[in-house]
Amino acid sequence: MAASKQIQVERQSALHGHYEAGLFGLQADREQSAAIVLQEVLNLSLWQVAAWPDTYKSVATKISKAYGSKKPLGPNKSASNAGGSVLRVEPLKFWVIGDTPANKGKDAIAVDEAVWVDQSHSRTQLRITGEHAVTLLNQFLPLDLRESQFAVGDVASSALHHVGVTLWRSQEGYELFIPRGFALALWEVLIEGAAQYGYEVI
Amino acid sequence: MSSKRIADYGMIDRSVPLEFSWDGQGQSGYQGDTLASALLANGHSIIGRSFKYHRPRGVMSAGTEESGAMVTVGKDEGSKTRRDPNVKATTQELFAGLTATGQNAWPNVRMDFGAVSGLFGRFFAAGFYYKTFMGVPPFESFSKGTGIWMQYEKIIRRAAGLGESSRLPDADHYEHGHLHCDVLVVGAGPAGMHAALSAAQAGLEVILTEQDFELGGDWLNQGDTAQHKKRVDLIKELEKVGVRIMTRTTTFGLYDYGVAGLLERVTDHLSKPSEHLPRQRFWTLRAQHTILATGAMERQFAFGNNDRPGVMNAHAARTYLNRYGVLCGQNAVVATTNDGAYTVASDLAQAGAQVKVLDTRSDVDGAVLDRARKNNIDVLLSSTAMQTLGRNNVMGVEIANRAVGGGDWRAAGREQCDLLLVSAGWSPVVNLASHRGERPVWDAVEGCFVLPENLNDPITVAGSAAGVWSDTACVSSGRAAGKAAAKAIELALAGKKPRKKTAKKVDAKAAAKAEHLYEVKVAGRKLKGFVDPQHDVTCEDVRLAHREGFVSVEHLKRYTTLGMATDQGKMGNIIGLALMAEALGREIPEVGTTTFRPPYTPISVGALAGRSFGAHFRPLRRTAMHDWNLEHGAKMMEVGLWQRPWYFPQGGEGISEAYVRETIVVRESVGLCDVTSLGKIAVQGPDSAKFLNRVYTNAFAKLAPGKARYGIMLRDDGMVMDDGTTWCLGEGEYFMTTTTAHAAKVMVWLEELLQTRWPELKVHVSSVSEQWAGCAIAGPKSRAVLEKVLANSDEISNDHCPFMGVIESTLENGVPCRIARISFSGEMAYEMYVPSDYAASMMDSLWVAAQSFDGCLYGLETLGALRIEKGHVTGAELDGRVTIEDAGLGGMASTKKSYIGNVLRKRPAMQAEGRPQLVGIFPKNKDNKFKAGALLHAVDANVGDPNCMGDGWVTGVTHSPTIGHWIGVGFLAGGYKAWEGKTLICADPVRQGDVEVEVVSPHMVDPSGNRMKG
Repeated sequence: MAASKQIQVERQSALHGHYEAGLFGLQADREQSAAIVLQEVLNLSLWQVAAWPDTYKSVATKISKAYGSKKPLGPNKSASNAGGSVLRVEPLKFWVIGDTPANKGKDAIAVDEAVWVDQSHSRTQLRITGEHAVTLLNQFLPLDLRESQFAVGDVASSALHHVGVTLWRSQEGYELFIPRGFALALWEVLIEGAAQYGYEVI
Repeated sequence: MSSKRIADYGMIDRSVPLEFSWDGQGQSGYQGDTLASALLANGHSIIGRSFKYHRPRGVMSAGTEESGAMVTVGKDEGSKTRRDPNVKATTQELFAGLTATGQNAWPNVRMDFGAVSGLFGRFFAAGFYYKTFMGVPPFESFSKGTGIWMQYEKIIRRAAGLGESSRLPDADHYEHGHLHCDVLVVGAGPAGMHAALSAAQAGLEVILTEQDFELGGDWLNQGDTAQHKKRVDLIKELEKVGVRIMTRTTTFGLYDYGVAGLLERVTDHLSKPSEHLPRQRFWTLRAQHTILATGAMERQFAFGNNDRPGVMNAHAARTYLNRYGVLCGQNAVVATTNDGAYTVASDLAQAGAQVKVLDTRSDVDGAVLDRARKNNIDVLLSSTAMQTLGRNNVMGVEIANRAVGGGDWRAAGREQCDLLLVSAGWSPVVNLASHRGERPVWDAVEGCFVLPENLNDPITVAGSAAGVWSDTACVSSGRAAGKAAAKAIELALAGKKPRKKTAKKVDAKAAAKAEHLYEVKVAGRKLKGFVDPQHDVTCEDVRLAHREGFVSVEHLKRYTTLGMATDQGKMGNIIGLALMAEALGREIPEVGTTTFRPPYTPISVGALAGRSFGAHFRPLRRTAMHDWNLEHGAKMMEVGLWQRPWYFPQGGEGISEAYVRETIVVRESVGLCDVTSLGKIAVQGPDSAKFLNRVYTNAFAKLAPGKARYGIMLRDDGMVMDDGTTWCLGEGEYFMTTTTAHAAKVMVWLEELLQTRWPELKVHVSSVSEQWAGCAIAGPKSRAVLEKVLANSDEISNDHCPFMGVIESTLENGVPCRIARISFSGEMAYEMYVPSDYAASMMDSLWVAAQSFDGCLYGLETLGALRIEKGHVTGAELDGRVTIEDAGLGGMASTKKSYIGNVLRKRPAMQAEGRPQLVGIFPKNKDNKFKAGALLHAVDANVGDPNCMGDGWVTGVTHSPTIGHWIGVGFLAGGYKAWEGKTLICADPVRQGDVEVEVVSPHMVDPSGNRMKG
């Protein structure tokens, strides 16, 4: 089996070499804050936890508690604390973000209650904020993202330019998880779509 | 027609003059003008030429119903175009630098040689082309069937039509988007604005769309300063309560469950728009409730030469006067059937025009007549327009009158005029509700179609769209609609249905008394009256259609083209129906009405495409080492959505040289190939082995940790679905690979099986295709390469990792990896996977090591050559028609267990000896070449017999560097044994011609497998 050794190279994201920070688009030459701010969240840690029909209630309770929610999370809801976040992306499946399975999420759940699989490299995480963040997202996503309908903590699966994506509204903004192979193509259409409002890449 | 701009009128901003071009000549207008108002202000009367007869046409309206002033806006710009044909000048906002030209005319719309076709107008009635040129002597003798028609059609299309599209790519880009709201209000006239306010005040999120660039609807046309201030205040109030106002936005269609299609024109009114702005945005809006405040359109009636420039909807002249400060004529005749047109007449008279009113009625309200007389307006009762006089412009009108109380029309003199305004009442705009399948009902009193009281969808109709005519009534109607929307949403949330409204009682007396004018006919006079001027459809065309047996209004429409194309029944729908009803001896509602279809107004194809064009027509899928491959000289190709390396040329190599070199290097040393696109599925859970054993044909129940196995999956019907390997990583932990082509299909299939057939199994399948980046290391030196890159080289020894062995290991740089010793090439080979973000570092390490053995990078072409030499199947062979035996893999079908497809694969037809089976193919003459897709048949086959389907086909070919000539794989009836030693013909009549071939075992290189197991 694998010898444990410190990784000596940095992770290289799907946008590597194509990601340029700065102000672009309509407002780039104006002294205004950008209407849309885009940020790639690097070094994503994403573990999928899949429970069984006879254990999902217990798993939901335990994993929700581990990440700060007193109540078990319902579908398409999330909870966060300093240790990380958990998103309930399917009735039986959860995503633990920003934490490793060795930490409290996995500690809380018995081996026979769920299976864990590392998906940290499978998605590119984009954070979208700014006045026109929702407008940009709705150029592609048919979701109802009005404040009253998609609050902080909500999660949705949808399709962006024909590609299945997951959208999570965190405290920091709208977090878009894009399958890695499509990330650059979707990044390109996103920044092209954002240019009409002006955008900043940070 | 002598139109001109006049002082002190209009809402245009005279401080912002705008220069523009019309047919190459410089013109000027003002901010706030439309192209039509600016052309009228510059004295232009002929703006277009008609579809068929090339008759001159002028501005006939002030809105979307325009049928005369159709122009081409914009021009080609270098290698791209901004030319937009068939733009209605009445809706095109003027901007500095706008370029507009006339269309369907040569040399120009003022002097068009095409007008000669008008001389033959009597022959060009509805159906002329079909009756004359399709299968009718003498033309049919020239050719057969549609062939000759195809030739005529080119000439006909050149002679007739609308504007011409550019063939250059569009210079603009377009946007798609989604909107959500509680209430969508369509139309921002008096009713729409108040409906939006009322709904927003009830706490609802409201979007108000308006196709115009100003809010106000008919208020904009009234020239009332006090009303103007109220309108401005109302807009402020709408903004204050949070109504989202979208001007220049047409709600072009309504669809299922509250979905509306919107087209927002973002830059069509700008001189120098930012390159970042899309030209148009195509919005898909979802609303809980929709309020249609779409207004009404003024109707005309048909009379002789009613299409001549200078004939206009009466209220359009009021719009041009009060909104744009243009007096459309100095000497106007207003032909009306109602009181409304008297307001127009008064406004024109007050602006300095001479005005005469021809009123069909004999009994008109005294107050109306008094007001007219005060404005020095002559009124002739029981009179109307019979025919216009003039050539290119209206110079006068022949008047018809009749006895008081009715009777036939008769000629009654002439009147000079340069403007003839027509009003035959108003038709509510019901198109959007019609999109939802609502059938309008005939209002015999008003002479128009109105929507029924109770609609199936959550839609409320307000204002003149609901047949409400006065300003104050429209305001009340709007407010009520806003409240009704709020109530309906409240009831819907509570799961209740709104109470049905009582249908309005028909005022039978008023209906019987009502008289509506659709056509002026005078005994003994042949009058060419147009029903649909946009398509040159005349009253006589409608009667001809009836005489030829057309009784359905839908057939009438298609035969005559009445109401088709951009008009969509706006101008002549009612007249056409009325004439058909008259011909049939029926009432209008018995004839029915056409169903309006989206879009309400035209939409550019670019707006439909949005961002899905060029490189983004489909989303591109790149492997984690895409850039690494490019940096190392890869030529790429598309495989599904994936971009994959095709070959890696060196020096001046083309593909033919490159893949031969790569193949030789792999066979002799080592090669590296990006295999990231293979599907990868994590199969987890305590019942995983049981699950895999049911899915694959061969045994998986006892696959031990550290081992991989090649497997075949069948469909329920016993045909092969996919192949791949599954690696056992530990107890209940498996890593399945699939073909690139079937990755998603297999994933869905496994999910379906777990959800529907074996829900009791504790198994989860998760796609990890994106998590892991893979590289195949193939060739006799492959192990030596891995020894160099792994932190512990012992792990890859033959003892630790024999053929079909699996290890989880670590690269020298600490990157974790998983490796299986499996081979697609027939050489000793491995597949190595690392987490995707480490793909480039894996390739860097492997490439340094491979170069030390003079190794190479290889792409799909070499992958194909290697697998054909070896006789391995891919998606080209596993095309859904192939059994496991056909593919030569029958030995993998277990007889000791049950699995998907196990029973149906044993059907007699599936086991028949003569089925096409996988074979290898050599040319008889080793210098010959043959191609994939060619058919195989026996030398003595009767190929002239239409029942001769051949004996097989070729699925893949390559020039084999190992064997030294072209080789192929394919399927042949009976397989290798049935054809051993025989010569076949490889028939490729379109490309290659016939090539003699012989059949060999599909395992053309190293059939014993020593090289890969060694």
